[in-house]
Amino acid sequence: MKSLIQKLVESIGPSGYEGATREIVRAEIAGLGDEQHIDALGNLIVRKGHKAANGLRIMLSAHMDEIGIIATHIDENGFVRFTTIGGVRPHTCFGGRVQFVNGVRGVIGGERLESQDKVHTFEQMYIDVGASSRADCPVKVGDMAGFERPFLDLGNRLVAKSMDDRISVAVLIEALRQFPANSPHEVYFVFSTQEEVGLRGATTAAYAIDPDLGISVDVTATGDMPKGPKMEVGLGKGAAIKVRDGGMLSDPRLVRFLVNTAEQHNIPYQLEILEGGTTDARVIQITRAGVPAGCISIPCRYIHSPSEMVDYGDVQNVVRLLTATLSGPITLE
Amino acid sequence: MSDTLLPLLKKLLSLSGLSAYEAPVREVIAEAWQPLVDELSVSRLGSLHGLRRGQGAEPRRRILLAAHMDAIGMMTTQVVDGLLRFTEIGGIDPRILPGQPVIVHGRRELPGYVVQPADRLLPKALRGKPVPMSHLLVDVGLPADEVAELVRPGDLISFAQPPIELGETVLAGHSQDNRASVTAVTACLQELQHMRHAWDVWAVATAQEEETLGGGFTSPFEIRPDLCVAIDVTFARGPGVSSDQRAFPLGKGVTLGWGPNIHPALFEAFQTLAKQQDIPFHLEVMPRHSGTDAYATQIVAEGIPSIVIGIPLRYMHTPVELVSLKDIRRAGHLLAEFIATLQPDFMNEITWDKANE
Repeated sequence: MKSLIQKLVESIGPSGYEGATREIVRAEIAGLGDEQHIDALGNLIVRKGHKAANGLRIMLSAHMDEIGIIATHIDENGFVRFTTIGGVRPHTCFGGRVQFVNGVRGVIGGERLESQDKVHTFEQMYIDVGASSRADCPVKVGDMAGFERPFLDLGNRLVAKSMDDRISVAVLIEALRQFPANSPHEVYFVFSTQEEVGLRGATTAAYAIDPDLGISVDVTATGDMPKGPKMEVGLGKGAAIKVRDGGMLSDPRLVRFLVNTAEQHNIPYQLEILEGGTTDARVIQITRAGVPAGCISIPCRYIHSPSEMVDYGDVQNVVRLLTATLSGPITLE
Repeated sequence: MSDTLLPLLKKLLSLSGLSAYEAPVREVIAEAWQPLVDELSVSRLGSLHGLRRGQGAEPRRRILLAAHMDAIGMMTTQVVDGLLRFTEIGGIDPRILPGQPVIVHGRRELPGYVVQPADRLLPKALRGKPVPMSHLLVDVGLPADEVAELVRPGDLISFAQPPIELGETVLAGHSQDNRASVTAVTACLQELQHMRHAWDVWAVATAQEEETLGGGFTSPFEIRPDLCVAIDVTFARGPGVSSDQRAFPLGKGVTLGWGPNIHPALFEAFQTLAKQQDIPFHLEVMPRHSGTDAYATQIVAEGIPSIVIGIPLRYMHTPVELVSLKDIRRAGHLLAEFIATLQPDFMNEITWDKANE
C-alpha cells in the first residue's frame, strides 16, 4: 500500500484541478468496480455490489483535491504573486516549493521583513520560477499549483504534503480491492473534488447518489505533540470514529454502530471530537431529505503543512474498519 | 395560555435533546402532538413531522411550520484526572458557565457542576478575566477511576436548571431557544382543532438547527410544502441593549421578519392579518442570515416562500433564557389565524412583484 500512497501524495491536484490525481485513481481501480463515471464536478464515482433486502445504498467519500495556490499577478521581473486555494497558512510557505499543474516548479520567497520575528503575509510573498521577465515567465495569471515535497517513509509513520486527503483516497482504493464478496450493500466509492474550498464535489455526488448512509474518510488533528492542542486523538491509537467536528455532529446511531463493529472485530479505535474543520460528511448529512452520516478519520499531525504525518497502523485499521462495516447488515438504532 | 401549554413547556425545558441527540425531547413533543394531528413520523435526521390534513379538495396546498427542538449544550472531549474537559454544541457564552449544574450523559446520567480553576492558578494572560472554555471543567464528584469508567469523549453534557416561573407571565429556563416556539406550534395545533382550514398543515420540530440547520434543509425537501414559516426566538431588550439595536420588548408581541430571507408578499399577508386581529407585533429587520431554519427552507429544492415569526427572549444561549408566555400564545394564535385564512388559490396572490407595487 505504501507505493500507492507515495504515488497519490506526490501528485499535484489543487481544488478544481484534480486531474493528475484522478488519473492515478482511475488506473488503480481499473476492473475493480461494477460501474464508474466522472460527474460534472470531476468526482470519480465507482459503484460496487448490489443492494440486498437487508442492505443499504452507501456513499463513501474521500477527497482528491489538496490545498494550493493560484497565480494572481506576474511582475515585470517574472516574479509570481499568488493567493491561496483552501486553508493554507502563511507560516508554512516561505522557503517552500510549489509545482504548477502545468509542471512548472518554483520556490516561495518573500519581501524583506522589518522584523525577523514576524511571519510574511501572503501579500509579502511571491513565487520565483527562475524567470527574469514577465515575457519569459512560464506561469500565467490563473495557473494553479500544489506544494511540492517528496514522500517520506519513517517506517510506522508516513509524511507527505497531501496526506489530507490522499491517504484516505488510498484507503478507499484498498477497501474497494478488499470489498467483501458477501456484502449486502450497494456501495458508491466517491473520490471527490473541491473539498478544501467548501465540500463542493461531495455536495453534488450525494445529491446524485441519494444514499441511505454516508461515511466520509478524512484526516483529523491530534493532541499528542509537545504543547499540542487539548485533544484526545493520537497517532497509532487506531481508527478515529468522529463524534463531532467544527461543521457537523455525526449521526449518533452510526457512531454506535462503528464503535460496536470495531469492538467485535478487535480493531483499535478512538473517539474523535475535532473543534475546527469539517469533512464531506457534513454535506452528505443534509442532502435531500437527510442522510445518516459520519466519518472515519485517520489521525494526522501538522495538517495543512507540507509535512503531514500519519501512522501506517492507523491507516490499516481504517481499512479494516471500513471492510468490516461493509461486510454485513448495518442497523442504526 | 391554556392549561396544558405551561406544563408542556416546563417539561420541554426539563429535558436535554441536544443537537443530533433530540430523542428525549422528540418523544415528549410527539406525545403532545399525537391527539392534534392525523399522522406523525420521524425524518432520517430525527425531525418530528406532524401532518394535520386540511378540509380543502385534493390535491391540497401545504404549509410547513418549523420550530427547532434541539438545544445547545456541551460535549466531553477528554477525561483528565476525574475531571471533564468539554467543547460546545451550538454557541455558548463561557462567561456564564462556572457554577452551572449539569448532567453528564455517560454510561449513566451523572449530576455535576461546571467549575473553574482559582484565578491565581491560571496562566498569567488569563487572570482577572472570564475563563475561556478551554480552561473550564466539569466535576461529577466521583473518584477518577470511576469517572474514567463512566465517561468517555463524545458524551453529552446538558444544562440541569429546572424552569422557574417569574411572576405571572415569564418563564426562565435553558432551551427556551427554541422549545418556546415548539410550544407556540402546539398552541396553533390546539386552536386549529376548532377551526376550518383548506390547506394541509405540517408541524415540524426540526433537528440540528443550532449546528447546520439540518432539519431546516431536509424536512422541507421531504415534505415539499408551498410555504414555510420558521418560528424561533429573537432578542428581547435587556441589560446593555440600546433601543436602536434590533431588540424587542419582552411580552409586548411577536416579531415578523423582514429582509431578503423573507418573501415580501408573505410578510404582507401576515402583517395585514396581525393588524386585523389586533395581535401585537414588531417588524424585525433581517438584513442577512435570519439565524433561523428559514435561511435553509427558502432555498430547498426549487425554492419555498418563507417567513420568520420571532418570540422575544432575554439572555439568549444561556441557561436562564426568559420568555413571556403571552408572546408564545400570540405566536400560536397568529399562526392558526393565518392558516385558517389560506385559500386554495393563495399561491397566485403572493408574488415578489406584487409586494413591490
